[in-house]
Amino acid sequence: MNAIAGIAMRGVAAAVPTKIARTSEYEVLSPEERQRLQKATGIGAHRMSPPDQCTSDLCQAAAEHLLEHLGWARDSVGALILLTQTPDQPIPATSIVLQDKLGLSTKCIAFDINLGCSAYPYGLATVASLMLTLNIPRALMLMGDISRVCEYKDRTAWPLFGDAGSATALELDPVAPPIHLDLMSDGAGRNVIIIPGGGLASRLPPGDEPIQAVPGNDGVPRRPGNLLLRGADIFSFAITKVPSSIERTLAAAGKTSAEVDFLVLHQANKMINDTIAKKARFGADVSLSTLADYGNTSSASIPLTLCAHASHFDRDRLIAACGFGVGLSWGTALLTVPAGSVLPVIESDHVY
Amino acid sequence: MGIEDFIEKFAFAIEMEPAALAADTDFKALENWDSLNTLSIIAMADADYDVAISGDDILNSRTISDLMKTIQERKA
Repeated sequence: MNAIAGIAMRGVAAAVPTKIARTSEYEVLSPEERQRLQKATGIGAHRMSPPDQCTSDLCQAAAEHLLEHLGWARDSVGALILLTQTPDQPIPATSIVLQDKLGLSTKCIAFDINLGCSAYPYGLATVASLMLTLNIPRALMLMGDISRVCEYKDRTAWPLFGDAGSATALELDPVAPPIHLDLMSDGAGRNVIIIPGGGLASRLPPGDEPIQAVPGNDGVPRRPGNLLLRGADIFSFAITKVPSSIERTLAAAGKTSAEVDFLVLHQANKMINDTIAKKARFGADVSLSTLADYGNTSSASIPLTLCAHASHFDRDRLIAACGFGVGLSWGTALLTVPAGSVLPVIESDHVY
Repeated sequence: MGIEDFIEKFAFAIEMEPAALAADTDFKALENWDSLNTLSIIAMADADYDVAISGDDILNSRTISDLMKTIQERKA
């Protein structure tokens, strides 16, 4: 489909909070059910932010770590783009708040993009295009989400999602290898993963009754601001639509799956990811996973999975990064991750 | 697509003995049925029949034979 040349990845960093929630200790399920859930999803634990920590805090921790590692002057960053489903507040955009907190120049372009699971390929496409068109030498692409939007009693959502923030540094480089991209959308699936409340479409007349939890068809009480996940439909979508996106990207680049060093899928669950990898003809050994320790970290899942396998990136690696989910939105990026550019995961409970 | 063969694949997907299931089994009433089984059945339909079924397809099927009909129609 499309390729972008002239943009190099310089670094990736990811931050998670220290508190660990283990699937084996999730009180809503019986011990047998917990075991079964862990076996099917591959999710053994996820990280939980302290109550006052937000997406901006985890992304800032990752960005500070990355800027320090790269030795980039703050005023050399020309764009700061955050992809998230859980901004700190409805307005203003969290990326603009981060421009100030990170001490970046007021000449820095900053805005948010409302994408989650598909954030990595979409972010690369957007930020790289912006850099090339407006001649921006350096940019930071941030991705992060906080899972407090899930109701604790919701067994179809709460045990799956974890908190993380990430930062990816991109730089104009005329000799950088091309990034091949395949990007797709299908709003017919908008109800498959949704937070129904909080926007103008659902806002109740102001000043009426207090917000209450209402039991859904599955009996789980949710408030309008809680995440609703229809797992069966996500599963059906992911295994039927996602493998062909990976195949189209490889075909456009003239590569086979055997020539790709690592497949880095959005971390949805083990059943989904194993099926996609198999259908796209990738061996289990080259499909990187962080489900066991971090669960599904939404927009941050691909950079977090890179960082959790930092030792694999001691030399240049060709990766297929494929995100899929909320929207529905999905896509693949085939790109070279340069040697030494992936930093190990850091922990932070800091609130900036 | 024969019913015996389908029951065997269905049983394998939800980790049960085929002998415990029949064409008219009300599968969502099975003691060990849960939402993870829904995913296993969707995976089975995809892998064995190359058919995409939704959560609603499973919700709207009462018996194993109902579900087989849905998959057959989708495949045709």
